Amino acid sequence: MSDGIVMYVLLFISLYFEVFMLVSFLRRHSSGGSIVSATQGNVYEPKVAIVVPCFNEGKTLAATVTSLLSLDYPHDKLEVYVVDDGSRDNTLAVANAFGTDPRIHVLHKENGGKHSAMNLALSMTDAELIGCLDADSVVTPGALRKIAPIFENQSIAAVTPGIQTKKPENLLQHMQEAEYRLGIFVRFTLASLGSAYITPGPFSIFRASVVRSTGGWKHGHSTEDLEMALRIQDAGYMIANAPSAIVLTGTPRTLPALFRQRVRWSYGFLRNGVDYRHMFASKKYGNLGVIILPTALLSIGIAVYFFVHLVLSLLQTLMHQVVKIEILGFSFHPSFNAFYIDTSALWMIVLVSVSIVVALITVGTYIGTGKHRPPMGTALFVLFYSLLAPVWLGTAAVRAAFKTGVRWR
Amino acid sequence: MNPVSGSRKARWGTYIIAFLITALIFATAFYASNYFNNQRIADIRATQDDISTDILSLETQFDLLQEHSCSDVAENTILPSEMTSLGDQLSYMEAQGSSNQDEVTRLKRLYSILEIKDYLLMQQLAAKCNLNPVFILYFYSNKGDCTDCEKQGYALTSLSETYPELRVYSFDYNLDVGALQTLISIDNVSDQLPAVVINGKVYHGYQSVSDIENILPQLSTLKIATSTAATSTKK
Repeated sequence: MSDGIVMYVLLFISLYFEVFMLVSFLRRHSSGGSIVSATQGNVYEPKVAIVVPCFNEGKTLAATVTSLLSLDYPHDKLEVYVVDDGSRDNTLAVANAFGTDPRIHVLHKENGGKHSAMNLALSMTDAELIGCLDADSVVTPGALRKIAPIFENQSIAAVTPGIQTKKPENLLQHMQEAEYRLGIFVRFTLASLGSAYITPGPFSIFRASVVRSTGGWKHGHSTEDLEMALRIQDAGYMIANAPSAIVLTGTPRTLPALFRQRVRWSYGFLRNGVDYRHMFASKKYGNLGVIILPTALLSIGIAVYFFVHLVLSLLQTLMHQVVKIEILGFSFHPSFNAFYIDTSALWMIVLVSVSIVVALITVGTYIGTGKHRPPMGTALFVLFYSLLAPVWLGTAAVRAAFKTGVRWR
Repeated sequence: MNPVSGSRKARWGTYIIAFLITALIFATAFYASNYFNNQRIADIRATQDDISTDILSLETQFDLLQEHSCSDVAENTILPSEMTSLGDQLSYMEAQGSSNQDEVTRLKRLYSILEIKDYLLMQQLAAKCNLNPVFILYFYSNKGDCTDCEKQGYALTSLSETYPELRVYSFDYNLDVGALQTLISIDNVSDQLPAVVINGKVYHGYQSVSDIENILPQLSTLKIATSTAATSTKK
């Protein structure tokens, strides 16, 4: 098969998935039947335990705990477990400062990873629901009240919130803000397809009995949130999404920090994908097995393929320019001739694909914030993410192949 | 927006609708791309027709030379930049690798014939009217077997920009055109490309700007451009 045909086939797959997600959202949106109809005005208020696993989170922990204590939820039905996972900073002291509130339970243990902190809290609570809030995130007061009633449906084992970024302070964070808006759309649509395969650290809430019966939290190749979601799906339960339950999360400020985080996420997906390979391409798991998981896996290869092509093409252009400058010297004659505008089918399809991504970010913005305009980082996201993401995806793929393991920090 | 969850049971209608929309986008993109390429080819064909007509007119004028002054004929010659621009457009179309490659090749063959006719006519004019046009015939290959053709193209572009009256005729060595193969045979051009023919003598291998200026002292008789135009000579 020639390179051109391979490129168009991969482009077709990418575009098909974008269109599939958009069509799925529109069909869901037009058919109505939201589960809110069953929960609106509902006073279902089960006991909830929120766990804040901490490892050297002294700087951000106070804001996280304060936001939890501000939740609009009956005090006698809310427990907050701050689990200091062997921190070497003042995390424990910050946690103990909240100790006077009866809802707060401060636990300290040897460092063992996030999953071990979650399991410690799980072993101590009798709450019906248990959730996690990463110590770099804050929750809005109404969030839990938007989530808890959904669990009245016994087939639902987990609910993910609408995750937004804290106020971006640099261009990288603006770019991530757009990415998270896209994430809101994706999470919402995947939930409507019964195919959510990640229950993110910031304020995903679980039915405690299901967590216990399926074995508690596991290391999950440093992505326990992904492993838990796959396990829930494997056990036949559903994962819902409540986009109006807003959580604000911190995003990496620097490129190396972003790179580390994304390598961990991608590595976790690939290694957990191997562990749960029986779910891939299996009709038993419906949309999740037929299209979502296979496409998520394929998209890593597609991103790397197009990135390598782009880099080779740029290098070739650069070499031509060097030869040209050697002969002609450096000269710049700006001119425009409509004849030379690239109107190849490839570029038109790429343009359509990018336009759909912008549309999905806009829809995500609407779902999460009710606003109709995408964030200002959208242009940066569209321009640079396709160059950045393949680097960590490729790195993660290589590391996953060699089972190197990844660290949180 | 309200909370959502759904059955993961596949709704095949969604899969089919998404497939049809994606296929429609692809079909539209290919149709539009083909449409624009056809427009470009039509542009090139129109320009070639104009040049062809101009050459025919010039030949007719030349035949009637005894009834006209040389200056009348010389004023109506094809400008080198017109040929270069047409060549650039054909090179672009060829590099694009569009689905209309057969048509592009046909146009390229016609372009080569027009170049040869212009070259011959200019030689005849030069002899009869005491003009001193300066010619370079450039033979290249874009089969991937000519590593220096790109450099040679840039060097000739540089010369064309410096001397707008210089007539550089570029020929694809591998093009299946009888007249071109005859020209290659007459000038003894081998397949050691790039090759340039200057004053009837063939030079194989890369010739730098200064090499050509040394070989071709007549260049100094040409007017030097006051400002350079953004043109390029195809490889």
